[in-house]
Amino acid sequence: MTTIDSTAATTRAPARRRTRTPIVDADIHPVVTPDRLAAALPEPWRRRFLRFGLRGAPPPAVYPRVRHGGMRRDSHPAAGPPGSAVRPPGSDLDLMRSQLLDPYDVVAGVLIPMQGHTAGAEEPAFAAALCRAYNDVLVTDWLDPEPRLRASICIPHESPAEAVAEIERRAADPRFVQVLFPSGTFLPWSDAKYRPIYAAAAAHGLPVAIHLGGTEGHRGDGWPSFYLEQHAWYGNAVAVALTGLVAGGVLEAVPDLQVVLVEGGVSWLPSLLWGLDDAWELCRDDVPWLTRPPSEIVRERLWFTTQPIDEPPVPAHLATTWEQTGMTDRILFSSDYPHWDFDDPITALRVLPAALRRPMAAANAARLYGLTLPGGDDD
Amino acid sequence: MTELFDADTHVAPASFADLAGSLSPYWRDYAAGAALRADPVQASAYPPAMVDGPAPHDLASLRAAVLDAPGPGGARTGTAVLTCTTAFDVSRNHAFEAALCRAVNTWTAQTFLDHEPRARGSVAVPLGDPAAAVAEIEHRAGDPRFVQVLLPVRGHDLRWGHPVFRPVLAAAAAAGLVVTLHAWGRVGSAPTTTGFTHTYLQDYLSHGQVAQSQLVSLVAEGALGALPALRVTVAECGSSWLPPLLWRLDKEWRGIRREVPWVDRPPSRYVREQVRFTTAPIHLPRDPAELRDALDVLGAAELLLHAGDHPHRHGDGAARLLDALDPAGRAAVLHGNAAGWYRGAGAVVPHVPAPAPVRHAPEVPR
Repeated sequence: MTTIDSTAATTRAPARRRTRTPIVDADIHPVVTPDRLAAALPEPWRRRFLRFGLRGAPPPAVYPRVRHGGMRRDSHPAAGPPGSAVRPPGSDLDLMRSQLLDPYDVVAGVLIPMQGHTAGAEEPAFAAALCRAYNDVLVTDWLDPEPRLRASICIPHESPAEAVAEIERRAADPRFVQVLFPSGTFLPWSDAKYRPIYAAAAAHGLPVAIHLGGTEGHRGDGWPSFYLEQHAWYGNAVAVALTGLVAGGVLEAVPDLQVVLVEGGVSWLPSLLWGLDDAWELCRDDVPWLTRPPSEIVRERLWFTTQPIDEPPVPAHLATTWEQTGMTDRILFSSDYPHWDFDDPITALRVLPAALRRPMAAANAARLYGLTLPGGDDD
Repeated sequence: MTELFDADTHVAPASFADLAGSLSPYWRDYAAGAALRADPVQASAYPPAMVDGPAPHDLASLRAAVLDAPGPGGARTGTAVLTCTTAFDVSRNHAFEAALCRAVNTWTAQTFLDHEPRARGSVAVPLGDPAAAVAEIEHRAGDPRFVQVLLPVRGHDLRWGHPVFRPVLAAAAAAGLVVTLHAWGRVGSAPTTTGFTHTYLQDYLSHGQVAQSQLVSLVAEGALGALPALRVTVAECGSSWLPPLLWRLDKEWRGIRREVPWVDRPPSRYVREQVRFTTAPIHLPRDPAELRDALDVLGAAELLLHAGDHPHRHGDGAARLLDALDPAGRAAVLHGNAAGWYRGAGAVVPHVPAPAPVRHAPEVPR
């Protein structure tokens, strides 16, 4: 089990190991507190934020997480002085260091600020100001004091012109290693509206990381009632969207685009690739721009993260299934700190044979993000 | 040689004229006035490239194309479940939908079941009005030739496990009718969480993902648990996606089962006991070793029901499946699994419990 048992001790920092296993963690969630956000916003956006707040409902409001708000129980920073603001999990760099970066030899951790998923769908100018403020706080509060951290660029994804401007603004800072995009968007990822975002990212050599979240919408799949339902099906939302990226011609239209699918899982991929190739043979006239089997395109352009790692009843089935992707060199370890279903960097991948799991720990991500690993050890 | 049990073969009225005798004068006039037609393409579901001609609309063409035609390995068809999805593609007018479903089912009985002992029927039900769906199920429950209730996998705003639809599932289970989630449906509802697709290919493949949403719903809402006699067939939506879904669902249930205290067993156990899948399409690897692994991980010989799915085209996945199965597995998929699943035809129909209360109230967590 890699899930966090709520009855465990309240602190859970493992002893620092003697042997080094360099880890690149591709999914760490920082939280920018409202006071830090407000301080970083210019007027009139600060007053708007303070007096009217944000309008989008984040997924935890739609599907309440019934233990510890969906966080690791031990990830809540100690309360400040009486009357001070609430400090949510993910808002404290020192706690992140002591629970994740130090004990596990995390040589690089990629911050994925999910607040941008909903802020990015606000009114265009407000969304642009919010995302710029989030990125400014990521720099001052996280990247400047902690050289091991990298960040994803928050963008006002529903306002592509403003999103492109924010990508341009951050592209020169090498600590921003990718552009963040949510799974829940107003239109399918393949819509022409979003192409300028993909093109800008590709032009700067930045992957687009698509993380679960954003605006929650359900059409023909029907609305879930429960978090279990929504969260267990998240991988399918990603699979549907990946099909759209491929079939909709996005990957052909933006040839330098690399896409990281974060927290959507991996194990569903072989079945989807088989289906894509079978369907492509039947539907060639429907997708004339696809001139070769879709699985080939996916294997050149997509990356995946490990968390939440599956636990099949026959453990060997996991390696069998991941090897069937034909792209285990594009799977990146991720912990999802500080969420409840955090995967331990040392133990989570142990179900896989060493030769399969070792590159996932750091080398695959180092290749994608252009990171140098200590000692030149690339696996 | 094993006699085939074809769990999904299509029939469709050629036009509204075929249904006219089963529609009241009001609905005949409504359909004529609105220039409605029984479109074999069903909006975007079955375009010319994806079918070998129209679905049979009379007994002679059904016999020629399916019942008297050699199946896989030259086997003859012993039983075929007729699926008519004509009522899937309808307006939001639930009263019309109820009338149309009644007419479609009557047409199926009069055109095929009355004359062909190998044929079994599917009960089309109106989805915009669950009470009318229950009434249609009860209307057909006493006719042993109907063996399943047909629900489109792309349904309404709520998933099929939602309490709103519990009386429909309960009525089917009480009658010993399988509930079949069939591909397509409300094509006015986009198959993705983010809206309409630009390609048929994406809609076609989305059924696997949407079917998974429905299975997750049937488990998480407690429908499978509350109705142990309920059997569900997933038709024309694929199946090789199942193992990873169950891995994730079981793991997350262990972590957050507090949210759904009525789910008191690992979700995979409900699904493996109460859900089966048709073989058209089935998406499998082409490498023989990978193929054997994939069938092993899936548990193919236990879960799959052969479907010829005439006249729909799905490529050669089912042929690859049958080639890779051992003789016992092939016999199970071609006949045995379905014969034990649908009522009549030697099915071991479980004891039928009293109908569940119309109002489903999840047990309050202790």
